Amino acid sequence: MHTFQDLILRLSSYWAEQGCVLQQPYDLELGAGTMAPDTFLRVLGPEPWRVAYAQPSRRPADARYGENPFRLGKHYQFQVVLKPSPADVQKLYVASLEAMGIDLAVHDLRFEEDNWEAPTLGAWGVGWQVMLDGMEITQFTYFQQAGGLELDPVSVEITYGLERITMFLGLSRNVYDIAWVEGTTYGAVRHRDEVESSRYYFELADVDFLRRTFDGWERESQRCLEAGAVIPAYECALKCSHLFNVLDARGAVSVTDRAGLIKRVRDLAVACARTWALSEAERRVAERDATRGADPQADAGAPAAAAVPEEVADGR
Amino acid sequence: MAAETSPTDGRHDLLLEVRAEEIPARMLRPAAEELATLLRERLDERGLALDSLETAFTPRRLVLFARGLAAKEPDREEQVTGPPVAVAFRDGQPTPAALGFAKRCGVAPAELARVVTEKGEYVAAVQRTAGRPTREVLAELLPDLLGRLSWPKTMRWGEGEGPWVRPVHGVLALYAGEVVPFSLFGVAAGAETVGHPVLSPEPFAVDGEVAYREALGARHVEVRPAARAEHLLAAMTRHAGQVGGELVEDPPLLDKLAAICEIPGVLVGALDEEFLELPREVLVESLREHQSAFTVQAPAETAGGPRRLLPWFLTVMDRPDDPAGRVRSGNEWVVAARLADARFFYREDRKRTLAERRGDLARLTFHVRLGSYLDKSARLERLAETLCGQLGWGAEVEHAVTAAGLAKVDLTCEMVKEFTDLQGVMGGIYAREEGSPEPVWQAIYDQYLPASTDDPLPRGRAGLAVALADRVDTLVGMFGLGLVPSGSRDPFGLRRAAQGVVRIALEGELAVDLDLLAVKAARLYRDQLGNDFAGADDVLTSLRPFLHDRVRHLLGLAGYAYDEVEAALAVGGGDLTDLAARVAALHEARRAEAFLSVVLAAKRIANILRDQEEQELDESALAEPAEQDLHAAWRDLRGEIDEAAAAGDYAAALAGIARFAEVLDRFFVEVLVMAEDRRLRRNRIALLQAIHRTVSRVARLTEMVVDKDEYRKS
Repeated sequence: MHTFQDLILRLSSYWAEQGCVLQQPYDLELGAGTMAPDTFLRVLGPEPWRVAYAQPSRRPADARYGENPFRLGKHYQFQVVLKPSPADVQKLYVASLEAMGIDLAVHDLRFEEDNWEAPTLGAWGVGWQVMLDGMEITQFTYFQQAGGLELDPVSVEITYGLERITMFLGLSRNVYDIAWVEGTTYGAVRHRDEVESSRYYFELADVDFLRRTFDGWERESQRCLEAGAVIPAYECALKCSHLFNVLDARGAVSVTDRAGLIKRVRDLAVACARTWALSEAERRVAERDATRGADPQADAGAPAAAAVPEEVADGR
Repeated sequence: MAAETSPTDGRHDLLLEVRAEEIPARMLRPAAEELATLLRERLDERGLALDSLETAFTPRRLVLFARGLAAKEPDREEQVTGPPVAVAFRDGQPTPAALGFAKRCGVAPAELARVVTEKGEYVAAVQRTAGRPTREVLAELLPDLLGRLSWPKTMRWGEGEGPWVRPVHGVLALYAGEVVPFSLFGVAAGAETVGHPVLSPEPFAVDGEVAYREALGARHVEVRPAARAEHLLAAMTRHAGQVGGELVEDPPLLDKLAAICEIPGVLVGALDEEFLELPREVLVESLREHQSAFTVQAPAETAGGPRRLLPWFLTVMDRPDDPAGRVRSGNEWVVAARLADARFFYREDRKRTLAERRGDLARLTFHVRLGSYLDKSARLERLAETLCGQLGWGAEVEHAVTAAGLAKVDLTCEMVKEFTDLQGVMGGIYAREEGSPEPVWQAIYDQYLPASTDDPLPRGRAGLAVALADRVDTLVGMFGLGLVPSGSRDPFGLRRAAQGVVRIALEGELAVDLDLLAVKAARLYRDQLGNDFAGADDVLTSLRPFLHDRVRHLLGLAGYAYDEVEAALAVGGGDLTDLAARVAALHEARRAEAFLSVVLAAKRIANILRDQEEQELDESALAEPAEQDLHAAWRDLRGEIDEAAAAGDYAAALAGIARFAEVLDRFFVEVLVMAEDRRLRRNRIALLQAIHRTVSRVARLTEMVVDKDEYRKS
C-alpha cells in the first residue's frame, strides 16, 4: 500500500542518500519545482549542486472545482537536480523507482522523447517523459539553457508527479481517494482548497487589482535587481509569473496581451539569471585572488573580468 | 596479438554498436541510414571494398554490420615532378638538388626518371604510399562519422560532453574479431555490450556478428527494427483475430512501436464498453496519440462505411511478457483516464451547436493583422458563394456557404484543442450529430483535405468549394501582408496550401478562374481592413508565380515536359483545368512533324517581330504568291482555330495551327520580310503579326524546345 506521504518520504530518503541537499518546498506560489531558485539559479555556473525537494505547483488553468478526478489547480512535484549530470543518472533514477517500491521485474519502463521549454524562464532542455506501463510518471530533462544562458556543466532535472504516481500504483480512479496517510485521504486534506481556489481563479479574482499588482511586482523586481539583490528580485518575478497564470485562468489575457506579459516575466527572469551568474563569477574570481594573495608565488593582477564567462559579460 | 586474427590481407567483418540513452524514435532510422551512407562514401574514397552493409537500431543502440570489408587500403603510386634536369644533373652526376628530391620521395637517386613538360625536361619520381590497415583507418573514421551525424536536435551532458543526440554509454567496435581502438565522447570502444537494460543489464563480450545476434537474442534484444515490426504486426493481427476483430491499419504507428522497444512484446488491453459511445475518430486518435496504441474493428459486414470499433487496444511493451498483469492493468488505467477526458470534452463540446459557438471565433486570432477566425468565416462564406457562382453550382451554393461559415468553429472546441489532428473532422462529426445535411457535414469534415500528396480530395462539391476557398483566403491574406515563403521558411504552410489549391482545381476538374477568385479574396480583405491591405493586383503579382510553381511541379509529376507547361502557362493560367487541357494537347501535338515545323516558324516570327510596332494589313499590297498564299491560309484557318480553341478542343486547334507548316515554310523561302520597299515590309510584318496571334491561341509556341536535326531533315 502506497500512501502519498510514503512516496515523499521514500524519495526524500533515497535522494538524501545520493548526497542531495534535502530542501523544503519553496514558500512562494510556483508553477513548477523548476522555478524555485534552488533549481533555476543553481543550475547556472560551475559549482557542483545536488538538491531534492517536494514542491506544491500551482496551475490555475487546470483547476476544476475539485470535480475532475485527474486535474488539479495545485499538485505536488518531487524535484531532483544533479549538477553535473552523472553518467549513471538513468541507473540512479531506476533505483529511485525501486526505492519507491516499484518492482521493475513486473513493469514496463520506457523513455519517450519529450523536450522541455519554459519561455518565461528563457530555459530549455532535452530529455524524456518516463513511461511506466504506458503512464507518464516522470519528466527527465538535461538542462541546456536557463535564463538564456548556455549551461556548462549540464544539470539533469528529474521531476516526479506525486499524485499521479500514487494513483497509478494503487490504480485509483480518483485523486481525492488516494491516502495521504493511512486513514486520511488526499481529498480530506485538499478538496476544499481546490474548490475555493477554483472559484477564486475563475470567478473572484479581481482583474484590475491583479494587473496593478503585476505592474507593482515588476517594478519591485527591477528595483531590487538594480540594487544587486538577485534573490528578492527573482522572487518578485515569481510573483509576476503566478499573477500572469491567474489572469490567464480568469480569461483576462487576450492573445496579443499574452505574448507581451510572457515577455515581461521572461525579461525579469533572464535579467536575474544573468546578474546571478555574473555576480557568482565575480565572487569566484575574488575568492581565487584572495587565495593567491596568501600565496607569494601567485601571479597577482589578473583582471577580475577575465574569469567572467564571455556570454555573461556580453549579456550586461 | 595472434597473427591469424589480424591479417592485413583478405576480407573481414566490421561490427559497430553505439549505446546511448534512449534516442528519439523519429531520429533512429534517418541516423542509421546516414551512418551507412557516410561510411560507404568514406570507404569508397579510400578504395576499401566491402560485400555488404546493414544497419539496425533499438532505442538504445545504433548498429552497423559491414561484411567482407577489405583488410587494407590499396597501395598508391603517384608521380611527383622535381627540379629541371639541367639543375638535377651535372656531368651526368646527380646534384644535391636531385639527391634531396630523391630523399624526400623515398627513392634511390638511380630510380629518378625524366619527364618532358611544356617548360622543359624535369626529374620525376614515383612515390609509393603503402595502404594502411583497415583497423587503423576505421579507428579514425568511425568517431568522425559518428560525431558528424546530423541529428535534428542535439544536447550536451555532464561536464559539457557532446554534442550528440543523447549521452553515449558504450561502444562496441570489432573488426576481424578485434577491437577497433577509438573513443567517442570519452567512452572507449571495446568488445563488450549489454542486454536488455532491465531484464539483462550485465555486460558481456562478443567476437563478431553471429555471437552478437545470438547473445542479444538470449538477452531480450532484437536489433533489427524490421524484424521487430514484423513480429509486432503478426502478433497484433493474431490477437485482434482472437477477440473477433481486425487491426485498424496504421503503418506509421507500427514503425513507431518498433522503434520504441528492444524486444517487441505485445500488450492487449480492454476498453470499458461505455467509451464506445465516442466517435470512432476520437477513439482511434486518442489511443494513437496518447498511448501509441492500435484499435480493433469489427470485421466488414457490409461494404463501405466506417466499421464499428471493438473494446480492445493493442500496443507494445519493451519486455517479452506481463507476468503479474501489471503492465496490462497500468495501461488500461491510463487509457480509461484519457478516454474519460475525451468523453468529458465530447459532452462539453456538444452542449452548444456549432452555430451557437460561432461567435466564440471572434476571440480566436487568425493573424494579428488579418483579424479573427470570425472575420475569416465571413470571408469564406462570400468566397464559397463566388466560387459556386463561377462554376455554375446553383444547387450546391447554399450548402457550401453554410459549411464555409461553420468550418472553423471546431477550433474553439475542447476536443480539437486536445487533438489538433482532429480539426475539421470534429466539426464534421458535431455537424453530423446536429443533423446537418450530408454535403454540409462532409464539407466541414473534409476541409483540410488534401493535407498530403496521398490524401484524397474532399467529397462532394460543397467540400471542394470550402477547401478551395479556405486555402485561397489564407494565401491571399498572407501574400497581401508580404509573408511570402522563402527558402525553407514557410511558417504558415503556404506551399502546402498552394499545392492543395492546385490539386483541388486540377484533380477536381474545377473550371474556376483562380485569378478572379484571388481578386475577390483580396477585395474581401480590403473591405475588412481598408488600405492596410495590399491591392488585388499586387497580391496577384506575387501569388500567381507561386501557384504556377506548384502547377509546374504537379504537371511535371503527371509526365508533361517542362516546355509544354511553360508554353501553355505563358498565355494564361487562371483556369487550371483549361491549362491542363492545353498542356495535354501540346503533349500530343508535338509528335507531328508539321506542328514542330510551325513551332520553328513561330520562333522565327517572334524574332522578326521583336521591337516591331503593330501594323495594319493591306490585302492589296500582298505582292508575292507565297505571301498571298499565306494570307489565304490564315483567312481559311483562323476561324476554325479560334472556334476549336474557344470550345476547348485544343487538339483540333493545334491541328489547325499545324496546317500552316507548309505555307509558312514556303513563305520564308520565297519572301524577304525586310524588303527595301517600306510598304511591302510593313505589310509583311502585319501579316506575320496576324499569324502570330493565331498560332499563339493555345500556347506560346516559342517556349517549346525543338531538336532541329530531328525534325527538319527534309
